[in-house]
Amino acid sequence: MTPVPLLVVGGFLGAGKTTLIGHLLQHNQGMRLLVLVNDFGAINIDAQRIAQAGAQTIALTNGCVCCAMTGDLYYAVGDALARQPRPDAIVIEASGVAEPGRIAAVALAEPDLSYAGVVTMADAQGLPDLLRNSQLREQVQRQLQQADLIALSRTDVVDAAPVQRTLAQLTPAPVVAAPHGQLDVLPLLHALDVAPPSAHAMAEPAHGSVFAQWTAQCAQALPAKAVDAWLANLPPSVLRLKGWVTDDHGTREVQRVGQRLVQRRVDARSGSQLVAIGLAAQGFDAGAMQSAWMAWAAACPQTR
Amino acid sequence: MSETTVFCARQVLTMDANMPQATHVAVRDGRILAVGDASCADPWGGGQLDTRFADAVIAPGFVEGHAHLMEGGLWRYTYVGFMDRLDPQGQRWPGVTRNEEVIARLREVATHEPTIGWGFDPIFISQARLNRDMLDQVSTERPVAVLFSSLHLMVCNTAALRSAGYLEAGDVEGLMRDAQGRPTGELREMAAMFPVLRRLGVDFRRLAAGPEVLRAYGASARRAGVTTATDLFSSLTAQDVDATLEVVQAPDFPIRLVPAVGVVDGDPVAIAREMAQMRQRSTSKLRMGAVKLMTDGSIQGFSARLQWPGYLGGVPNGMWNTPPEVLRGLIAGFHASGTPMHIHVNGNEASAVTLEALAHAMAGPGPRDHRHTLQHGQLMDEAQFRRAAALGVGVNLFANHIYYFGDQHVAHTVGLERAQRMNACRSALEAGVNLAIHSDAPVTPLAPLFTAWCAVQRQTASGRVLGQAQAITAAQALRAITLGAAWSLNMDHEVGSIEVGKRADMVVLQDNPLTVPPSAIKDIAVRATVLGGQVFEAGA
Repeated sequence: MTPVPLLVVGGFLGAGKTTLIGHLLQHNQGMRLLVLVNDFGAINIDAQRIAQAGAQTIALTNGCVCCAMTGDLYYAVGDALARQPRPDAIVIEASGVAEPGRIAAVALAEPDLSYAGVVTMADAQGLPDLLRNSQLREQVQRQLQQADLIALSRTDVVDAAPVQRTLAQLTPAPVVAAPHGQLDVLPLLHALDVAPPSAHAMAEPAHGSVFAQWTAQCAQALPAKAVDAWLANLPPSVLRLKGWVTDDHGTREVQRVGQRLVQRRVDARSGSQLVAIGLAAQGFDAGAMQSAWMAWAAACPQTR
Repeated sequence: MSETTVFCARQVLTMDANMPQATHVAVRDGRILAVGDASCADPWGGGQLDTRFADAVIAPGFVEGHAHLMEGGLWRYTYVGFMDRLDPQGQRWPGVTRNEEVIARLREVATHEPTIGWGFDPIFISQARLNRDMLDQVSTERPVAVLFSSLHLMVCNTAALRSAGYLEAGDVEGLMRDAQGRPTGELREMAAMFPVLRRLGVDFRRLAAGPEVLRAYGASARRAGVTTATDLFSSLTAQDVDATLEVVQAPDFPIRLVPAVGVVDGDPVAIAREMAQMRQRSTSKLRMGAVKLMTDGSIQGFSARLQWPGYLGGVPNGMWNTPPEVLRGLIAGFHASGTPMHIHVNGNEASAVTLEALAHAMAGPGPRDHRHTLQHGQLMDEAQFRRAAALGVGVNLFANHIYYFGDQHVAHTVGLERAQRMNACRSALEAGVNLAIHSDAPVTPLAPLFTAWCAVQRQTASGRVLGQAQAITAAQALRAITLGAAWSLNMDHEVGSIEVGKRADMVVLQDNPLTVPPSAIKDIAVRATVLGGQVFEAGA
């Protein structure tokens, strides 16, 4: 069975998590999302779009399901995995005080889940005060430092530049503006299709305005050390990377979400294939990435 | 006319200053009719003399002011903790002090799969840390797992690791490995534990609800001499009340149950309305209407919020489970509506913020006699107790913690000076604060006499005395586990002492906790409890 992608939306109270979740539920592009939220009432769902409403669960006409979190979060995820039909992806709205990375860690542990990342929301207007508050500072910092992507709300009312500078000191995670909480996070949830073999690397059209996709392959085996270095030096604007790389020790599967890299050895295949999604606005340029890749691959010493 | 029973005892400790000691208690209609000598019931026409406790000591039934229903649920698994513990059936499970004993005990019960142990505490075991190879001696085919007493950690055998794909897993946070990268079997925190728990069918939610769990909890409490016990982060809703009443009101259910509903956010006005409705449905044995609020985490987990200078060695400060701003709103709303609050505060920043919020709330509308109680209050100092006293706020301190974690606190969390005044019972009493002490079962064993012993002796697991200045007398400790806890539940007019007119809730002890050597308080056997005049003998 294919693992279900799990995305955690974190951020302190009032950061705009609910708006983002509401937006996601309305623009699901046919995906059957199961969303775990803290409070139903807070999510604005049009009555006409409700197919069935229970005490703890609301089913939408577009196939999405919204569940109120009661009791243990992890068991709620277990219930979500047991649902028929199984959701295409699970999105958790972390509570305003939760550490989103600790929740998302279950996706790395549970074989039935795949890690789709942590998006931490921050209010561009309120964040400086929170980071000055000695009672809250560490907690807010941890939420930001656990993010693979930071979405800044209220960038329409304040100049986001100072906040962005502050964030850059805290974390290498890319920061995008989501002035009305309307950030399209679906590209983080879609299954990444590693492109079929072809002779050359190619650039793919962007998924949306914020994200861009790049796929590449390479026929020859690459030196393992060079691959390690290449993976370690991916620009932070790369949000997801998936595929396999054949090096002088065999083939490894690689998957990166945000700053997390997971690799494991698999049965040997020929060549390497990779697909990546990045933030166009953060300088992720599929064309540039492609040229860099080709130049790098060509410069690699032949291993055999 | 109703029947009158006159219980005679070697001694009756009444906790009533007007008549501290007696030899006879007369009971009619579930209440105390008279207290005194053999003739105490004579003005009421006398009564049937019950001599079965003639050689024992009768005290007010113990009140456990901070425990959880999960104490009832966990007994479906095998106890492998360090302390001797009585199960709901009354069987004594000796504490385990060596890994071999854990293995042997699990082997004995490993008749069906999976095999689960609970209550394990590696800090008390001086051997190498329990690992998967040791648990493979229990079974190589069936999954075996041992839950730590904190429930934040567990150890699995190879079969259990395999069930979650952990033998070939990549980078999993909380999956502990040895120097060679081989999983040791230990899993830390729920994110790593959940995949195994899920496959082994261990559902923490089912351990804290349902008729079976309620009955086991009642049985567990009564064997410890408890006649009133809380469930202090209850998920009880209005819909569950009928089913709960069916269990609790049955004549064989041996305790009064006081659930305080857990609240971390939401609209306090709406919640208070629901609490008021539930309060109206309360009976003599099920007392509803209070809430439990969270603030910070735990000190040994480094998640409690500490004031300067914080944790030893500069470990980062802890986490709010409810941030101060939300807490202030909840406290103001609940106070204004007269909803009694039990507020979890472990670190001294959490207790400071909470006292400040209570002071602010009390500047507005709300009852004078509110009975709000700070739960744990482990690092409260004299100034905070004075403030609590000024606000009429009570405390329920975590005396058992001194024994279980005292050594750790000295060495790792807060250091000697602050560890010496953790759970400062003496300071609380001297400031005039209502004092209760608790077990937080299942975190530590549900046993008020052990809790009293901890507050009197302040002895840690290693045997050192930690903070002699904060030790209280046996009489003060006995009050804390009876009237003191009853006050925090707004039941001190009904239970907590043996006085005319109060409910006939009593505990029958083999010996007198006020006269045995203080070191022996924890070892006094509970012979029976009496709830509303009905006798529950320990052997039954």
